Amino acid sequence: MSVIVRIPTPLRKLTQNKPEVEVSGKNIESLIDNLETNYPGIKERIYDEANNIRRFVNIYLNDEDIRFLEGKSTAVNDGDEVSIIPAIAGGILNSSQLGK
Amino acid sequence: MLKQISGHAKLDFPDECCGIILSDGEQDFLRQCTNIQNQLHLEDPSVYPRDARTAYQIDPKELLEICKESEAKSRPIKAFYHSHPNHHAYFSEKDKADATMWDEPLYPDASYIVIPVYGGNSEEQILGNIRVYTWDLNIGDYLESEIESSDG
Repeated sequence: MSVIVRIPTPLRKLTQNKPEVEVSGKNIESLIDNLETNYPGIKERIYDEANNIRRFVNIYLNDEDIRFLEGKSTAVNDGDEVSIIPAIAGGILNSSQLGK
Repeated sequence: MLKQISGHAKLDFPDECCGIILSDGEQDFLRQCTNIQNQLHLEDPSVYPRDARTAYQIDPKELLEICKESEAKSRPIKAFYHSHPNHHAYFSEKDKADATMWDEPLYPDASYIVIPVYGGNSEEQILGNIRVYTWDLNIGDYLESEIESSDG
């Protein structure tokens, strides 16, 4: 399946500044693997050490958060648009005192 | 613009408000956002021990739409803003950590605006001095500047 992946501003230095790239894959996980082949370094920014998508990285398939679909196993179809959106968050006090 | 974001801060009190300011170089565009921290805290308090009174997270779906607008209309993100209910404005360790993932600022060209709003139990909220945090490439950190409160 050929899919457009929107690359967030902070990751564009890994994709030669391209804001969108076309990637093949049958699901989110394979899209990310293929992205990594063409643009090394992107996978470790998206996944943590346990190979799960980092909590602050939101991934949308068209307009749906993949957390409410099948996560990284969510299947994709030709012409789909996948968006990677790092969270914008914050809070008062020190992070050592309370969880993130 | 400061008046509008201050108004948003008062409206969402005692929760933190949040939003984004886009700019095409001539005009600023305010995009008020929804703070989903209460929802995150309810869904998973072990992962999200804070609620919206002491933390914020912009609704990622709104963020997606705003990013799309930013691209489509050439309106880069100028600033992110959020409020501190009953706290003065500062860029906490958590604010900084959340703004600099992958060891670099997520949006090095965007400032972070923090609006303190005090209310306690009264119906009238009072604004404190707003502080703006901008990434400085030379020192590799955020620099602070202050704007005096419009609430005397």
